[in-house]
Amino acid sequence: MNAGNSIRTIRLGGELEISRKNELRGVLSRSKTDRAVLLDLSEVTYADSVALTELLRFCIDAQRATVPVALIIRTPQFARIVQYAGLDSAFKTFNDPDAALGYLAEQVAP
Amino acid sequence: MKRASELRLYCPAQPRYVAPIRHALAAFLEALQFDRRLRDDVTTAAGEALANVVEHAYARTSEKEARDLQLLARHERGRLCVDVSDRGSFIRRRPAPGRGFGLRIIRAIARQINIDTSQGTCVSMTFKAPALRGKR
Repeated sequence: MNAGNSIRTIRLGGELEISRKNELRGVLSRSKTDRAVLLDLSEVTYADSVALTELLRFCIDAQRATVPVALIIRTPQFARIVQYAGLDSAFKTFNDPDAALGYLAEQVAP
Repeated sequence: MKRASELRLYCPAQPRYVAPIRHALAAFLEALQFDRRLRDDVTTAAGEALANVVEHAYARTSEKEARDLQLLARHERGRLCVDVSDRGSFIRRRPAPGRGFGLRIIRAIARQINIDTSQGTCVSMTFKAPALRGKR
């Protein structure tokens, strides 16, 4: 948690795929105190549609609560599967952590 | 005449087997000297077909019946074909928001896709695979 602006960071790495569905569902749960969430997925080496579905569920839930979410995606496979699934506009993605944090700080600024 | 290269794998249709099968396919494609992007795209499409089997193919069958899947990858004459098949039942679902990404992803990657539901389900994906470098 970034104390200054209440941005919570969730880090996930490795292969986000079907065998980790339950783990993803557990980790990707919103806290009532969240003002903004940074999903740091820069260490993810592979993602499938099961992971995308869980990420989408989390982002939609956050959006309903007006909690901004930014994703850091650096792996080419991950970036492409988001496009292939037609989810480019569903996620706010960045490949630079500073840019992602800057976006979230703007969103939560009073 | 050039010979075809082939990879054939069988395993139980369970989530923990999807990644090892995908890794074996990636190693097969690397051995054929395909570039990283093609390898990633083909394994991504195959991974979606495998996940579909694990999640849906045996939803209507009894636990006593065999629940397995097969992956067959074959490269010949500039074409790479990957079949993922099972002995379960194909469930045709209505499109809904937040669902059905697997087939959408496969269609975005594969040059051609055919789904045969006459005996279980076989998803056949064809990819454009350029001629191999080196001695092949």
